[in-house]
Amino acid sequence: MNKLIVFSILLLAFINAGAQSRFFTKDAKINFNSSTPLEDIIAESNQATTIIDINNNEVAFSVLITTFKFRRALMEEHFNENYMESSKPKESREAADKMKDFSKAKFKGKIISPIDWNSEKQVIADVKGDLTIHGVTKEVTLKAQITPGKNKIIAAAEIKVIPQDYNIAIPSAVRDKIAKEVTIKIEAIYAPYQQ
Amino acid sequence: MSQDLDALLDKAVKPQTTYATATFKSTRIVNGHSIERMKKKQLEFRISHRFDPINSGSYNFYGLDYGRIHLALEYGLTDWFEFGIGRSSYDKTYDAFGKFSILRQSKGVKNMPFHLTYLISTEVISMKYYPEIFPDFNSRMSYIQQILIARKFNESLSIQLTPTYIHRNLAPSAIDKRDLFALGFGSRYKLSKRIALNFEYYYVNRPISNSEITKYYNPLSFGIDIETGGHVFQIMVTNAIAMREGGFIGKTMDSWNGAGIRLGFNIARVFSFAKQ
Repeated sequence: MNKLIVFSILLLAFINAGAQSRFFTKDAKINFNSSTPLEDIIAESNQATTIIDINNNEVAFSVLITTFKFRRALMEEHFNENYMESSKPKESREAADKMKDFSKAKFKGKIISPIDWNSEKQVIADVKGDLTIHGVTKEVTLKAQITPGKNKIIAAAEIKVIPQDYNIAIPSAVRDKIAKEVTIKIEAIYAPYQQ
Repeated sequence: MSQDLDALLDKAVKPQTTYATATFKSTRIVNGHSIERMKKKQLEFRISHRFDPINSGSYNFYGLDYGRIHLALEYGLTDWFEFGIGRSSYDKTYDAFGKFSILRQSKGVKNMPFHLTYLISTEVISMKYYPEIFPDFNSRMSYIQQILIARKFNESLSIQLTPTYIHRNLAPSAIDKRDLFALGFGSRYKLSKRIALNFEYYYVNRPISNSEITKYYNPLSFGIDIETGGHVFQIMVTNAIAMREGGFIGKTMDSWNGAGIRLGFNIARVFSFAKQ
């Protein structure tokens, strides 16, 4: 009898966890700003996909570089063609870069501060993980605002990156027009993941 | 487990169609149009110059003392339609054109091996001639239609074929045809991320032999594109003096071996009217 109760509780817990443990969205917003007094450089994508697993606090992000929209079409073309090289086919890259995926930016990490997923109260949490841009992966930590909920999780985060850290070359002619540090902002509203 | 999350994300992203962008750096290869156009709500201001022949000597500063100028405003009404107006000091010509992108080179879900664009343009010569050679306003007009077929073969190399039909309401002389057919060849080769080498040649079909007074040649041009942020500079050597199709395809009177090579440049500045 005892065994049966324990088993039932475990089973219930498992079903519960299975149903609720993953939250997902494919229209998260990511924008970045590398403006200077000389030039406004702002772009946004609202097609980032992201998933959170509240069982182990793991989180992953992925966005296609070509989904970033600029006010100036020419800037968008240069962003893809000259800086992010998102459209550059794998076969025309240098040997060291051939296996890398330049077409996406990715983040894979873990929420390292303790978080009560049942509280529905906004918390500031530390997130640590690997950020991949332009085929280069760096470990980063960032602060995220997370509002847990039963059917919805809201998250927002901000991170500053230096283009040179990700092998993004900026020619001297435009060096004064592009900010040394690029501010990236992320906003996501997650819903329970459905298969 | 994290591998798992990655796989879920990849599964959620639907297969994409990637379009070939920046097949050419500018909306012109050298003199003639490329398949590129202004995107929606983007305005381009173009300033073009063609100088006198280089061999006119140091006294004329190798041709730079005298030049023809062309000014143009070109606007993208949608992502697939651009129109433009211009004014040239060559024959004091006004022009207007519409450029329609019909097919875009792409791969992925949709596969298309080339770009296809249709261009329609009209030119009006406003030059006063003494004695007057144009009997009325209509005779000053000509119409140009082009089909631009281009393929970006790889990051560096793009090639374009441009079948062209030009109708002049009045031919330049009694023995010239009013209708002209031409085939343009253009290419772009990228030397670096921001510098490209261009080639352009138009073969013009002239069924009758040229008279001895006015002999016409096919325009042949080599250019270099230099891109600096919002500007594209195009510097070229060409035997054409006009900067619009009716002129450089129809009425180029200098040849490469007849010492008719000119320096020239186009500057394009793009302004955006799109809201953030």
